[in-house]
Amino acid sequence: MTDALRGTPSALASTPSPGSAPPDGGPAPAALRATGIVKAFGGTRAVDDVDLTLAPGEVRGLLGPNGAGKTTLLRSLFGLVTPDAGTIELLGRRQVAGDRPVLEGVAGFVEDPRFYPYLTARANLEVLALFDGGAAAPPIDAVLHRVGLGGRADDRVSGYSTGMRQRLGIAAALLRAPSLLLLDEPTSGLDPAGARDVAELVRSLSAAGVAVLLSSHQIGEVGSICDAFTVLSRGRVVWDGTAAQLRDQAPVSAFELATTDDGAARRLATEHPHVEILDGPDGRMRLTGAQAAVDAFVVALGREDVAVRRLELVMSPLEAMFFTLTEQPPLELEPP
Amino acid sequence: MTSATAQVTRGDATPGRRRARPGPRIRDIQRAERRKLTAQLSTRLLALVCALGPLAFAGLLSLQNGVPADTLFGVWVHSSGYAVSLVVLGFSGSWGFPVIAGVLAGDVFSGEDRHGTWKTVLTRSALRRDVYAGKVLAAAELAVGLVALAAVSSTVGGLAFTGDQPLVGLSGTMLSPGHSLELVALSWAASVLPTLAFVALALLFSLATRNGIAGAVGPVIVALVMALLDLIGNGTWVHAALVGSAFSDWHGLFAAPPFLQPLLVGSLVSVVWTAGGLALCARMLGRRDFAGAGAPRAARWTRAGALVVIAVAAIGLLAAGTQLGPTTITTRRLQASLTPTFNRLAPVQQRELGRRVPVGTRLRIQPTCLRRGGGAAGPGDDWTCTLDVFIPQAGIEPFQQTPVTYDMSVQANGCYKATSPPSFVGQQLMRDTHGHEVVNPLYTIYGCFETDG
Repeated sequence: MTDALRGTPSALASTPSPGSAPPDGGPAPAALRATGIVKAFGGTRAVDDVDLTLAPGEVRGLLGPNGAGKTTLLRSLFGLVTPDAGTIELLGRRQVAGDRPVLEGVAGFVEDPRFYPYLTARANLEVLALFDGGAAAPPIDAVLHRVGLGGRADDRVSGYSTGMRQRLGIAAALLRAPSLLLLDEPTSGLDPAGARDVAELVRSLSAAGVAVLLSSHQIGEVGSICDAFTVLSRGRVVWDGTAAQLRDQAPVSAFELATTDDGAARRLATEHPHVEILDGPDGRMRLTGAQAAVDAFVVALGREDVAVRRLELVMSPLEAMFFTLTEQPPLELEPP
Repeated sequence: MTSATAQVTRGDATPGRRRARPGPRIRDIQRAERRKLTAQLSTRLLALVCALGPLAFAGLLSLQNGVPADTLFGVWVHSSGYAVSLVVLGFSGSWGFPVIAGVLAGDVFSGEDRHGTWKTVLTRSALRRDVYAGKVLAAAELAVGLVALAAVSSTVGGLAFTGDQPLVGLSGTMLSPGHSLELVALSWAASVLPTLAFVALALLFSLATRNGIAGAVGPVIVALVMALLDLIGNGTWVHAALVGSAFSDWHGLFAAPPFLQPLLVGSLVSVVWTAGGLALCARMLGRRDFAGAGAPRAARWTRAGALVVIAVAAIGLLAAGTQLGPTTITTRRLQASLTPTFNRLAPVQQRELGRRVPVGTRLRIQPTCLRRGGGAAGPGDDWTCTLDVFIPQAGIEPFQQTPVTYDMSVQANGCYKATSPPSFVGQQLMRDTHGHEVVNPLYTIYGCFETDG
């Protein structure tokens, strides 16, 4: 089950859509290009002048806290809501605000995947395949096996757990052999093994040229598999860049520290300029610093006969960066 | 896993072929929707009722002496199996078809809301307009299928339990079994268009309210309101525009001579209602944003309240409008219909009683039809028709120079029920020459006349 989502990169990859390969052999157009997307509900701008570009084979994280506008942006890309302004280009097909997008070659899901509970998983996929024009590109059984549902294919979806429905949602997306995959919180409801399988699947699809947009409100879930990130806050893009740029700008890590002699540890920290010990909200020691400085400090503690009982990562640099970006007003942020 | 991967690879080896195909056709989506609908318990129960209900009804009728005398052809259910099918058709027109439409189509759109599957469906390759068309076609084809199922079941049941004897038409003429079967089939077929109009209404309720119960019950309530509106007012215009009335427009087929204008008008009205309902649905679906539960939502209660106010106002306007236009129910038409019908049924009665009636015998009848409440026009159940019967030759008792008075209930569509006290024409059931109990054809007379003739 744990490797259920693993596979060869070629297994589920599709050829780019006809419009994605320029005839002159020049650079391939973006798999996704959204420009100036605006969507308001009542007086609230859920998405406010958002630009988003995704190259073929790129895995981009669309990050932001709940209510940042990620799902509304995805719904706009899928045509579920009509943007008030902006243009969307999916696999070379351009739509302006008000058009319904043509979703050939585009797959994924928004929020939690939903299915007809009175049908089996197999019947659900057969029905969805008809919405794609008939027979599925990869056989349904193969896709169900791929996501670890081969043994439950003939069970009604009403009896599925959240994680199983999530897997079925991924199966439904793979059924279309997409060139562009838009996934909203794809690891939500999955156990750690399932989340790892999703990550490996995304990597394999990316290697085969499939562009993947992963929406998440937790950078820890998608941080390791994304090539680039777009961070939304209050409907606006507050950061956009590569994973390397994000790491460069990320603040230091924070660890929860417990030792056999906390007083000695605090004194020793004052002698190490690159680390700092603060009091956490729970009264416990919070050690911050770059990874190398933290390593040196731990070695120094040992030399002073101070044993480390716990050194636990509280917030990774990416997480810290995420919170910094999304908890401050966008105008105060430094662009990448 | 290996075989699975191999399968996937094989399937993926032909992506070009897949993309070379045109996108999903409406027919594909119709298949998908048909599969969804037929997998649902409500649809299966409905099919079961349509298949077995009329059969059971025919069987129960054969076990008892009573007849559903308040329904067109109800008095003949023990005399001809075709009457059984027509009685089922009459019941279906009042309630059955709107229920079929509501249960079948009332959850087609709202089901997607309830299961949260709009986003699943609309993120596939199919265009929204094609999804809409596929859903409409699937609901329509299944509705037609269920109507056909009820038609076959009622006809088979009638023929199996009662037999294929000739049917007495609505002008007192005897219709041969073959002709009766043909007319029964045509009558059921005539119900398809108004049924589709109610399917369109069910789809509209389903889409507008996003509630399956409203989608199922809405068409039935509309049918009830239309039935009530049909009972009031003397005018023609609003009555002609009520799609619920179209379910009974087949009656002209059984008159002598048959008349088709109500059927044609009813069909046209059904098409207009269907087109209007579907156009509204298409507009609603085309403009709808599927923003999810978290998005701010327009005040649904305000919208629902506005809809209720609009509905009540529309019903009030229609009720007031039932007086508009000329009345088509007149003394002259009523007399012109009842007299020949009585003239044809009297020999039928006499022959069943064993009396010899020469072929072509005609009674001389002087009719006088009036409304007890005054006036001489308009539908109502206060009509009285007195037939002064003059018998031209001996041997046809007891009608010699006898006045026969019928209490008449006349509907806006020109169909009437005439009931005579037993003192004039005998009891409802009488014994034929073989000692069998048979229906007295003169006790209750159902007839229809052409309202524009």
